[in-house]
Amino acid sequence: MTTAPVTEPVLLILLSLAERPRHGYAILQDTQEMSDGRVRLSTGTLYGALSRLLEDGWIERFESEDQSRGKQSYRLTAVGRRNLQAEVSRLKQLARIAGLRVARKET
Amino acid sequence: MLRLYHCLLALYPASYRSQYGGEMLSVLREVEIEAAQAKTWARISLRVREIGGLLSGALTEHTHQVTGFYPAPVLFPRRPRMRTEFRFPKATAILMTIILVAVIMAIEKAKAISDSLPPSSTPIPQIQPEHFSTVTTFLVVLGLAISMAAVGWLVAFSLRRSGVQRFSDVHPGGGTSHK
Repeated sequence: MTTAPVTEPVLLILLSLAERPRHGYAILQDTQEMSDGRVRLSTGTLYGALSRLLEDGWIERFESEDQSRGKQSYRLTAVGRRNLQAEVSRLKQLARIAGLRVARKET
Repeated sequence: MLRLYHCLLALYPASYRSQYGGEMLSVLREVEIEAAQAKTWARISLRVREIGGLLSGALTEHTHQVTGFYPAPVLFPRRPRMRTEFRFPKATAILMTIILVAVIMAIEKAKAISDSLPPSSTPIPQIQPEHFSTVTTFLVVLGLAISMAAVGWLVAFSLRRSGVQRFSDVHPGGGTSHK
């Protein structure tokens, strides 16, 4: 199954959940950290993306074991992980081509 | 601030709110704790981003409910997001804020002066047609425009940015010589 490229914020959300399940605020912090502070999602944007990813079956919601903070957590589904791997492969291929072209231009 | 966020969450469709509202509010509470520890500018920026995100999110979800489509393809964009080289200078925003504050203060001051004066029984005379002439007004406006243009040109000339100076830098073979 081929999928269209995802936006950078969505890619960062998926990468955040690829490591381990997280709740909303932890995703916000992790995406900011991964992008060196360049991408700071708002809560509205985060939940807009999460609801769409849930709708498409890329992620799932579950009751976190740590109930001290009373939060729902999110994790990648098998479909989501497969699509993320496809996206990462696409980006690697693009980066490889970009590297070759830029190197050729410099010589 | 949490009250404002609560009000903005009320703008979302009911079904969305029942599914994510509580969770979003809990995240916004943590964002507010973070904002309280941040510096003033970072705090303002964080809050503006949150308010903007909630407003655009509410609009997006309502559009999705009505049409079945998302207005902005956030998940699957059809074209890459480009950032132009132009950036709105922060100094302009500060200057505009200062001007706005000055205008508000001037209005308040004028009101105070007006209130302090004793009420006058003589009414202000109406503007009569002989006080107003289209030709005179046109000439005055034209004179002002020419004066402003001359000042602008003098500034550009002193900065070596006038049209004459730029054309003198253009070479027939193409390109310009930068000094």
